[in-house]
Amino acid sequence: MNTEEDDRPDPDAILAGLRREESQRKAGKLFIFLGMCPGVGKTYAMLQAALQRQQEGLKVLVGIVETHKRPETAALVESLDILPRTKLQHRGVELEEFDLDGALNRRPDLLLLDELAHTNAPGSRHAKRYQDALELLDAGIDVYTTVNVQHIESQVDIVQQITGVSIQETVPDSILDRAHEIQLIDLGVEKLLDRMAEGKVYMGERAGTAVKNFFKEGNLTALREMALRFTAEHVDRDLEDIRRAKRVSSPWKTSARLLVGVSPSPYAESLIRWTRRAAARLGCPWLVVWVETSHSLSPADNERLTRSLGLARKLGAEVVSTTGENVAAALIQIARERNVTQIVVGKPEKRAFFRRSRADKLIDVSGEIDVCVVRPQITSAAVKSAPSPSPFRSGTDTLVAEYSGAAILTFVLVALGRGAAPYIGYVSVGLVFLLVITLASLRFRRGPVMTLAVLCALSWNFFFIEPQFTFVIGKLEDIIMFGMFFIVAFSMGQLTTRLREREQAERRRQKVTAALLRVTQSAALSAEPKNGLSEALRTINELLHAETALVARISDHSLPGVAHGASTFTPSPKEWGVINWSYQNKQAGGRFTDTLPQSAATWFPLQTSTAVMGVLGVKLLSSATMDFGTRQAIEAFALQLALVLEKEHFIQAINHVEFLAHSERLQRALLDSVSHELKTPLAVIQVSLEALADLKNPYVDEIQTASRRLQRVVNNLLQMTRIESSAVQPVREWCVLGDVVHQACEAVGDPLSKHPLTTSIPPDLPAVKLDAGLFIQSLANILHNAAIYSPDGTPIEIFAALDRGKILTLRIADKGPGLPEDAEEQVFQKFYRGPGSPTGGTGLGLSIARALIRSLGGDVVARNGVKGGAEFTITLPVETLPP
Amino acid sequence: MNARLRAVVIDDELQLRRLLHLALEAIGYEVFEAETGQQGLSETAFRRPDVVLLDLGLPDIDGLEVLKRLREWTSIPVVVLSVRDQEAVKVAALDSGADDYVTKPFSTAELASRLNAIHRRCKTLEAPTLVIGDLMLDFAKREVFLSGQPLKLTPIEYSLLRLLAQNAGRVITQKKILEEIWGPQSLDEAQYLRVYVSHLRRKLETCGVQIKNEPAIGYRLIAP
Repeated sequence: MNTEEDDRPDPDAILAGLRREESQRKAGKLFIFLGMCPGVGKTYAMLQAALQRQQEGLKVLVGIVETHKRPETAALVESLDILPRTKLQHRGVELEEFDLDGALNRRPDLLLLDELAHTNAPGSRHAKRYQDALELLDAGIDVYTTVNVQHIESQVDIVQQITGVSIQETVPDSILDRAHEIQLIDLGVEKLLDRMAEGKVYMGERAGTAVKNFFKEGNLTALREMALRFTAEHVDRDLEDIRRAKRVSSPWKTSARLLVGVSPSPYAESLIRWTRRAAARLGCPWLVVWVETSHSLSPADNERLTRSLGLARKLGAEVVSTTGENVAAALIQIARERNVTQIVVGKPEKRAFFRRSRADKLIDVSGEIDVCVVRPQITSAAVKSAPSPSPFRSGTDTLVAEYSGAAILTFVLVALGRGAAPYIGYVSVGLVFLLVITLASLRFRRGPVMTLAVLCALSWNFFFIEPQFTFVIGKLEDIIMFGMFFIVAFSMGQLTTRLREREQAERRRQKVTAALLRVTQSAALSAEPKNGLSEALRTINELLHAETALVARISDHSLPGVAHGASTFTPSPKEWGVINWSYQNKQAGGRFTDTLPQSAATWFPLQTSTAVMGVLGVKLLSSATMDFGTRQAIEAFALQLALVLEKEHFIQAINHVEFLAHSERLQRALLDSVSHELKTPLAVIQVSLEALADLKNPYVDEIQTASRRLQRVVNNLLQMTRIESSAVQPVREWCVLGDVVHQACEAVGDPLSKHPLTTSIPPDLPAVKLDAGLFIQSLANILHNAAIYSPDGTPIEIFAALDRGKILTLRIADKGPGLPEDAEEQVFQKFYRGPGSPTGGTGLGLSIARALIRSLGGDVVARNGVKGGAEFTITLPVETLPP
Repeated sequence: MNARLRAVVIDDELQLRRLLHLALEAIGYEVFEAETGQQGLSETAFRRPDVVLLDLGLPDIDGLEVLKRLREWTSIPVVVLSVRDQEAVKVAALDSGADDYVTKPFSTAELASRLNAIHRRCKTLEAPTLVIGDLMLDFAKREVFLSGQPLKLTPIEYSLLRLLAQNAGRVITQKKILEEIWGPQSLDEAQYLRVYVSHLRRKLETCGVQIKNEPAIGYRLIAP
């Protein structure tokens, strides 16, 4: 039995495969032509493939193709439809760029987009061309594109190691995972060098020595191997998908999950890339974890951390941040919670002999989880870039003031000390100096405290220790004193600043927490939701020194054209692009992100577990970057605001439902009283007539007939009104169709008895779920209609069938005169009476029949049968019982 | 001559009350009238009738409420007479303890036959055997005979037939049947009921006894 279990394909895998297929079916397909370096003929191959598709009848559009003045390539481009490039003005320079909106408007089947790694000109919607490609795919347009292996994000550091060239433009691996097909354009190294010699390879505008070094035989061989291996891995993964779906047992357990712990160090990016490559090879998910300790981060650290985590997100990792003093324990805890099989950490650079490294501690506590220690590299991108102050920190001007304060303090101390030294002795003066340094470290930052310590030590030596006014120290005990003074002053400064930094970090966290609490309270407690939101936004503004704008969605799930009244800035017309983008894609966009980074504000989607309630825009006023902490704080605020908006939305929805229920109650009461007023006199007439029936008076019969007719009219009118006021709520239950048809025939009664009736219902027809009452009434009306409009004695037939197991069709055919010309629709109109109708009808029967069937989700149509007579067909989607 | 049967008519329409009075007297009832729900309740308590005819649209208390209050202390048969013809209202009335439901306008003959069925039931409820047409049920032995021949029924079919037969002529709601036979947990399993009813119908084909389905309400056993 066990083996059978194992052979069964993993349902999750099949589901994931199906979901991917489904999203790809709606979305366009991405075809990537991958090469090892420029000049292998990717563009040419792409154009050839596109031409073939065009000959197959597809609408092909060239979005952007660089021919680099190669005649063969240019010839191919000419036979295709070309999209004009859009022109952007940037600082007086006119730049040409791919016209994304133009492409979307033209809606081609297939679009060619050369050089996927390209960075778009400033002012474009997206920072990177691959984001354009993603938007095209989401719009259902197939995309052909080209990439060189050195531009793939996870391969960047290897390429840098091999070639020594730093790579700026990269494509995240996740987009390559989305590719429907990756086609490797391969060329032998010698052949490529030949082509280079012929001048057929484009090496950029400035073909300097660096570029020439890149095209060395050794480098090219290595790049070629990388491209081949990368393609092979992708093919492998596709094969794996197929295998899993086809019930072939997989060669490895696929439950692997990697976790990489990162720090703000410059090595983090390399670690993240390494883990991504490993995860891709294993085909498993991976987590990037940042453990925040009480140790506060320098602005440079903050910057690096933000970038590392951004990279991780771009590469498709799940980013988790947690707090804890013991990093190893925190990592292990997350690893256990998330069923991680392997933890990746960086190998420590230098080994301190008295302290155990983080990797060692991790290995001690890892238990059954594998720990993988990797030697990371510094990539050039990780080192450069200057840090900028976070909005939480004070500026540089106070720092200058502190340094001058230190100098002045030294001066004052020396002056006072000179006066006091004769009375208290130079040793006491030194102690006073120490005291002042200690006190100063409570106020000043590390730099100024150190400066003060050094200045005090030197001036104490110079002015007070014998011999005075020299830096020479005569006595051994004075040397010891001086040394101790220096060490005490120095460590005092260190310790107090560290303490203060910790306190500052704590205070900052407290500020965020308090602000969050305030937002929640003001939003939850204010009676007027708008006031609560204004107060919440004000709180955010104060905390981050920012301006905020809120765009809340309106009831039809779209965004209004204006910002919410609580906003403190009005988004410019240009910002609306990024607002809509962020809302639709549920991702942050605008400034400090990759999407429309030219915007003035950063926009965060207000996402709850079920919906996006709107977008929050934050314009930082005093900061040139958004560090990790700020971003986290804004995301927390966004969640709170989203919950507030969601609550408001629910309250509105409840009010609306209550209003509807109230008006429905009123309508029911009205209907009930009208039907009471009409039916009571009818009942009186009916009972009285029955008592009179013994009289055998012909007038009584006439009254009887008229009264029955009046009853029918009243019933029909009331029923119609009830349907139209949607007071009819279907209650579906399991029915046997034979019973239902039988009851409908019984309900028609007399008129039907004058016709031979045949009913054919397939014997294997399962029980169906429908509202029997409504269905019978509707069927009875149609049968009644057939009975009175066809001559007595002619047959009436009922055929039932179940289409595709879920659509019930019922055909009622009579052998009467059929429908009048072109009256197939009219017969269902209210008060329509066909020519030659017998008296006594209301012209409501068929329209009621149709309205009832429609209220059940089906329809009734009428037409004349092939052999004469009218034919009514009921189609009704139904649930069926499995036999 | 036996003591005449007593009926209380609770209806706010004077004309209907008068007519019902006449019609019921014609079939041998002594009739007492009540114009409001409150009056109806006290009249019922005071007269101890054999049957109550109750209108749902009363000026003071809703008819369903009157029914519930009656059921708090008595099991006197109640027939609801109403203009409301929606299935949901009928089911609600039957589930609240009404013995039958007749929509206005109605025919006096129909009303008379429903009343007869109720009284027959009252008499036979305690009897050890019950005869309906060709059908004979022996409750003590849990056996059923059709024209003198034993009829083979499964335990569920037997319970179903007994329930319907003891209430012959009266509609029993689906909910009530499910509760009585399968227990209160099985209210959603109406499809079983349909299957058993169709089996039972097949077995009873030859005798005149019919099991009639009232769509969306329940079932009624009709004696020949």
